[in-house]
Amino acid sequence: MAVPSATVLLEAVAAYLAEIEPGLTGRAAFHAKVAGNVLAVVARELDQQPERAEAAAFASLLGPGATAADVCERLRDGRLTIATPGLLDALLTATTARLAVDNPRYSTLGRLTGTTR
Amino acid sequence: MIDTAALAALLSRAHGAPVAVDSVTALSGGASSATYAVAARAGGNDWPLIFQCSAAALEPGQLSKATQAELQRIAARHGLPVADVIAVTAPGDGLGDGFVMARVAGEALAPRWLKGAAFAGARAALTTQSATALARLHAVPLAEFAPLPLAGGTPREQCARLDAAYRSYHVDLPAFDLAFGWATERLGDHAPAALVHGDFRSGNLIIDEHGLAAVLDWELAHLGDPAEDLGWLCVNAWRFGHWQLPVGGFGERAALYDAYAAAGGAPVDRAMAQVWEVYGTLRWGMACLQLVHDHLSGRVPSVERAAIGRRITEVEADLLYLLKHGSI
Repeated sequence: MAVPSATVLLEAVAAYLAEIEPGLTGRAAFHAKVAGNVLAVVARELDQQPERAEAAAFASLLGPGATAADVCERLRDGRLTIATPGLLDALLTATTARLAVDNPRYSTLGRLTGTTR
Repeated sequence: MIDTAALAALLSRAHGAPVAVDSVTALSGGASSATYAVAARAGGNDWPLIFQCSAAALEPGQLSKATQAELQRIAARHGLPVADVIAVTAPGDGLGDGFVMARVAGEALAPRWLKGAAFAGARAALTTQSATALARLHAVPLAEFAPLPLAGGTPREQCARLDAAYRSYHVDLPAFDLAFGWATERLGDHAPAALVHGDFRSGNLIIDEHGLAAVLDWELAHLGDPAEDLGWLCVNAWRFGHWQLPVGGFGERAALYDAYAAAGGAPVDRAMAQVWEVYGTLRWGMACLQLVHDHLSGRVPSVERAAIGRRITEVEADLLYLLKHGSI
């Protein structure tokens, strides 16, 4: 036996929410549902670690260690533009990695990855 | 709480005969305004009404309910389907800044009328009806709005204000910066040509079995470029999952543009329509940022507001898709 991992703890809280949800109404019931969705986002983030794909995408544009702030700064001062080779695809790679965590059922994710027509 | 006696007095004055108010039920309330269903009676008949009022002091740039009521009256005169304005509050009424309008029968919840079989005929008619309503609104001479305190500016100025609001949050979203730069370059410097409803989307319409029964929520109306309303109606967030139908989840762009021109609207430039869709998507993204800021700043702490912060990724994906493929 090991002490519960973060994922196991999340699953325990999600199970608890599911247990109390039928007894809730109105705003409390709605917020419990939202809270359950939030737990699922956190679980996917721990599992998929989208920050890695994001860092790799930004590095492909500006070199190792580049951050979103670096990319934004260059977009604002015009050093990066929509015509910069690889820019749009790098941003798409970073965004699809995070969207797969934040809302894997969102239609645009399927359209970007070719799984929804 | 709403003072029902004060409301009855206001309605009696407007009606010219005694009106009783049996109940006032809160329907929705935001930070800036609240909406109530009013069960009234006049001459022995039930009179279902809606009362809308501002929550507190008006924020800078926020339209008063009196102004919104006047906009609805002007829209009605020009043939738009809107709820009849029954009475507007005066300072001595004890009801704050508000107005009473008729309660229009129909379905206001877009997920229901976008899906229900009973609304199939309504959905088939709605693209043309929306185009016609917008064309009529955009044809109203600007002089009719001259007495009203409406915001306005060139498209580029409007976009610059939105961009400044984005920067004020000090958040780094590359897709937003890319889209702001792209849209700013393409939006023109022309003076406002029309009244823009500003929030004409599936969630702000009342739909009955024949289609469009009423256009609601005039609080974001401003003077601007009519193409903004057409772009906003096509933003992915208002399709409620029916993403294959770009016009609000119920119609096709070509049909919207053709019906708009047929009803007297200016011919739609497809490239500019795309720019306005990018702008509209940015506006929705800014609404998400505002809501998550309410949580982060402690103004309205809630798990719901926090969760909306992750919907910003949906907006980023939509922006990038629009820029890469031209339409979404």
